[in-house]
Amino acid sequence: MKINIDYVARVEGEASVKFEIEGRKLKNLKLNIWEPPRFFEGFLVGRKFDEVPDIVSRICGICPVSHMTTSIYALEKAIGFIPSPEIRKIRRIMALSQIIASHLVHLYMLVLPDYYRLNMLFSHENPPSPPFTKGGKGGLLDEIKRLLRLKEAVNNVTALFGGRPLHPVSMVVGGFTKVPSRDMIGKIIKGLEAIKEDALDTVKMVSELKFPDLKTDVEYLAIMSEDDYAVEEGTIISSSGFETGVDNYHYYFTEKEIPYSNAKRTVLKGKNPIMVGALSRLNIKFDKLHSEAKKAAAMIGFKPMDKNPFHNNSAQAIEIVHGIWKCIEILDSLSVGDFLINPKVKEGAGSSITEAPRGLLYHEYELNNRGGIEKANLVTPTAYNFLSLEESLKKLVNENIDKPIEELKLLCEMLVRAYDPCFSCSVH
Amino acid sequence: MYFQKHIIETLTKFDFVFAKMILRGGNYHGPFDIALIEGTITEAWQADELKRIREQSTFLFAIGSCAIDGGIPAIKSTIPELEAEKKVYKNLSTIHSIRPHSVDAYVKVDGYIRGCPPGERDLYEALSSVIMGKKPDFLQYSVCIECKLKGNICVLIAYDMPCMGPVTNAGCGALCPSMNRACYACYGPMKQANGPALAKKFKLMGLSRDDIVRKFTLFGADSIEFRKAMDIYED
Repeated sequence: MKINIDYVARVEGEASVKFEIEGRKLKNLKLNIWEPPRFFEGFLVGRKFDEVPDIVSRICGICPVSHMTTSIYALEKAIGFIPSPEIRKIRRIMALSQIIASHLVHLYMLVLPDYYRLNMLFSHENPPSPPFTKGGKGGLLDEIKRLLRLKEAVNNVTALFGGRPLHPVSMVVGGFTKVPSRDMIGKIIKGLEAIKEDALDTVKMVSELKFPDLKTDVEYLAIMSEDDYAVEEGTIISSSGFETGVDNYHYYFTEKEIPYSNAKRTVLKGKNPIMVGALSRLNIKFDKLHSEAKKAAAMIGFKPMDKNPFHNNSAQAIEIVHGIWKCIEILDSLSVGDFLINPKVKEGAGSSITEAPRGLLYHEYELNNRGGIEKANLVTPTAYNFLSLEESLKKLVNENIDKPIEELKLLCEMLVRAYDPCFSCSVH
Repeated sequence: MYFQKHIIETLTKFDFVFAKMILRGGNYHGPFDIALIEGTITEAWQADELKRIREQSTFLFAIGSCAIDGGIPAIKSTIPELEAEKKVYKNLSTIHSIRPHSVDAYVKVDGYIRGCPPGERDLYEALSSVIMGKKPDFLQYSVCIECKLKGNICVLIAYDMPCMGPVTNAGCGALCPSMNRACYACYGPMKQANGPALAKKFKLMGLSRDDIVRKFTLFGADSIEFRKAMDIYED
């Protein structure tokens, strides 16, 4: 029997899951990422380095800041520019605000409806049958209101430095074209203080969700730095003890073209399929979390190593708490001064790896002596997760093969959503 | 400022019939009162799909720079397509991309909600106009007007920054000039903008031909207004 999920709804981008079941056995499961390619790596060649952050931010409407930050670090490395600690602090705030904002949208709008058997967070329909009594007419209206409060305060952080929450304009190679006054920063901190309770309510909400059981054997990957829960700078570390700096990237990682998908698949030499994202980060650097986030983890009952990919959603809730408390801390300690140095152009190559909301994001550029792009290479989180997502889907189907087809389909979709894929990014 | 201030009223006033990103299932076939089309058309099947949606919809709005004038993906039109594609995939036999085009290259469009990201004011205007049964009143002037309304100092005249504001449609609130940088046209060309005049000004400022080409091809490489700017190099 052939089973087709023509498109996975409530994810960013277009993909389908196809498999066959023959006499209680799974055959041929494929995750087909058919999102049409835009060829960013192709048309970036010939553009100039200072346009790159504005261009690559358009790869994604959910995590534009992550693409900008990663490209800026890679380009600065290529021309030998070293940003000041204060500039790096602001970039960390930007990266954190991006992670919180993305997790919020993903948890509330894309994931939550599944656990109440709704098709959408908002609904004009009557509640589904018990035990799912919560999403009545109006859907999960209280949750929507909480999401909007949280999202606004976090968007304000991104907009404070960037000018707007999506595709910020002030983040450029060399620093920031404008920085806010101490007064404005104070207002934004107050906004963040005001949503602390909503953040903890989010954790409580997630702790009440009944996640399906599944255990997978994957290699968790994240970046690590000594003094912090690294988001924009660090070395690459895996759960089996593998460690490397970004400069040796190509020795360990390879990208493969897959005949049935427009997205490429990234594999780590000699290791299990990779998983990146919130769950990986928590599994690898749990002890670096903010103390408040550790309390949140206790509330959910999360302990590393957690091998259930569905718990990526719990990990996201914990990271929301970490992000908000951490942002307040950094904002408090920020000194406002001059934040833009116009860097000198020179020939060179540079790469950078950061933590986007969905996991590792790698950018690499080669520049000529006029600052023109000669080569661009981008590897997104979903490319790393591609293989492990397929393997997890296989395991999930095998373990639930006796379930009715519609339920099995929903379970598969829920797993894809739990991974928080961005298929648009993965094709780019 | 954010559209999210209007999300609850939007959710309660409209039925979301088909929206993959936020809705599982739904009615794919229509008919639809309003269709919001985002993205550049880059594969042939999308054009067929678009024509089908047009037939099923009373109002069809193009939303975002990609759908309106090709946006960033249209940069691909400025170089030989195969060259761009070969840089990304070794095996092109499974890739079926066509030259990127705007939505109105294929179907009639009832309005444009400009910007990257799309302007919230125009989105609100489009949706509320349909409810009220009036013609939407979109912003149809340049970023310059917004700078004047804000009392900004002109970054083009005073600081010699190569600002695209004079030929770019308003809607952002003159964001870049307010953040001390030149506008880079993410809202796309204003209708009937005088591209050649601004290109000439850039040339006088000492920008190279390549630099000027890149200014007019970052957003809206597929638009008449920006292609015309290159007329200054004919003859």
